[in-house]
Amino acid sequence: MTSPIIATGLARYFGSKDEPIKAVDGVDLEVKEGEIFGFLGPNGAGKSTTVRMLTTLLRPSAGQAFVAGYDIVKDADKVRRSIGVALQDAAIDPLMTGNELLELQAVLYGIAPNQMKKRADELLERVGLTAAADRRVGTYSGGMRRRLDLALSLIHQPTVLFLDEPTTGLDPMSRLTLWEEVKRLNSEGTTVLLTTQYLEEADQLADRIAIIDHGKIVREGTPRDLKAQVGAPTLLITVAAQLTETATQVLKEFGDMRPTAEGTLGVGLNAGVEAVTDVVRRLDEAGIRVQHLELNEPSLDDVFAEATGYRLEGAKQ
Amino acid sequence: MTATLTLQSNAAMHHNWRIGFRQTAAMSKRSVLALWRQPALVVPSMIFPLFFAALGTSSFGRAINLPGFPKVDSFLDFSLAGTIVQGVLFGSVQSGSALATDIENGFFYRLMAAPSSRLGILVGRLAGAAAYGAFQTLFFSLLLLPFGMSIKGGPLGVLVMVLSGGLIAIAISGFMAAAALKTGSSEAVQGIFPLVFIMLFFSSAFFPRQTMSGAYKHIADFNPISHLIEGLRDICIDGLSSGAIARAILVPVAIMIVSFTLALRALAQRTAAQ
Repeated sequence: MTSPIIATGLARYFGSKDEPIKAVDGVDLEVKEGEIFGFLGPNGAGKSTTVRMLTTLLRPSAGQAFVAGYDIVKDADKVRRSIGVALQDAAIDPLMTGNELLELQAVLYGIAPNQMKKRADELLERVGLTAAADRRVGTYSGGMRRRLDLALSLIHQPTVLFLDEPTTGLDPMSRLTLWEEVKRLNSEGTTVLLTTQYLEEADQLADRIAIIDHGKIVREGTPRDLKAQVGAPTLLITVAAQLTETATQVLKEFGDMRPTAEGTLGVGLNAGVEAVTDVVRRLDEAGIRVQHLELNEPSLDDVFAEATGYRLEGAKQ
Repeated sequence: MTATLTLQSNAAMHHNWRIGFRQTAAMSKRSVLALWRQPALVVPSMIFPLFFAALGTSSFGRAINLPGFPKVDSFLDFSLAGTIVQGVLFGSVQSGSALATDIENGFFYRLMAAPSSRLGILVGRLAGAAAYGAFQTLFFSLLLLPFGMSIKGGPLGVLVMVLSGGLIAIAISGFMAAAALKTGSSEAVQGIFPLVFIMLFFSSAFFPRQTMSGAYKHIADFNPISHLIEGLRDICIDGLSSGAIARAILVPVAIMIVSFTLALRALAQRTAAQ
């Protein structure tokens, strides 16, 4: 069987023909059956645009993609029938109840009337919303909405699931609950493509990840491989503001500078963890007092920073 | 997930009008439900027209004796049609605005991501508007009866008026839906409201065209709203005749064809490339 998601040279341009804004600029992607694939990138990098193309909501300007074996342009309806989609910001009607929304979704996916109720009940139980089923969605918490959104996307038992930033804005507990559910679905055989801004989410869930920046995929691989590629551990140092420049000169002797939060300097230690004592000694010789020091083994955050030149919101520094 | 589901095959789905009908029915149920659950949106479209009817009757009650004024027992007999169309205009703006809100908050894309009929999104919305328009017509007709209004067409006339009210709702909501699909902004749709209101004032809603003169009369003559109102009015003050029925039904149908075509085009544009 071919992979459930294959994209080649997928691109989407917005704006004028002469000076198009390349939201997605030639993305090649292959997600294998049974995988959880994490699509990482900062806001505006092209994650959502890519997902919208793969879910037939947006026509590509160039390139090709097959989802569940069907061409996303020529066989859009077959693609829609095979995939589940939970879009960013859980677009659900606040005036309707959970039950009513599931019923509507069931009708939209052509599920036989005599199976609708059973299916809705199963899904509500699955996402822990049985008690809230007859309440209007407007009264739901953020986490409950996302869970309902997930349930809605599963109504027709899709083989491929697209989750666009499923946990953005959720509290840690709700996020964990959703992760559990995604893992469970995946263990049952559903292929999942999820976009996220959270490195931890990708690290926890994804078998493989791709980092997209300015519409192009800049890194791709398993989290472990990508971390190994970054290699050197990062030493984070805080010094008095007026000494930052001098300190930077010293640190450059030990490796490349890495992007960090403001007020902190980061250097990739080419010689590994052992170099820390030398760094401190050299700084001392230069008359620089270290106010704070922290050593980080490579994380997905480092992969991200190295690939894109900046760090993501909420990433550990 | 072990349960097996009966999913219709793709080819069957396209040609299966029953599924299309189910989807459209579900969508129209949703739009009616939304009105039911937001009384704040419904009340203005029920109260304002009645307010104008009361104001007109108390201020211009004796105008019915003017030369050229149709023969009526009460100014209310004359007002009813204008009241209904005014209410339906309010309701139609609401319906278009709700469609635009769906686009704004992303619900529209949930519908688009499903293998459902694209037409159902529009037809469901218009069917919901039609149901509300028919309800408004019945509501206004019955409510004004105890205040001295009489409907010459009798119960059968009311039935034709209710049908006409539903058709008028589709005709006007079609334009609003087109605007909603074109702009994707509920504010833009609501921005049309003053324009609609001006058109209402330049129609025969509050006075018969026979008593008008000059440019005002010309505008009212060409204003389609005049003709929508007069179809209903004929049944109310002249009684049920084949001519009156034809006017009450055919005028909204003609406008509906235009507005639905526009809405379909806007839908095609929005659902195509984007």
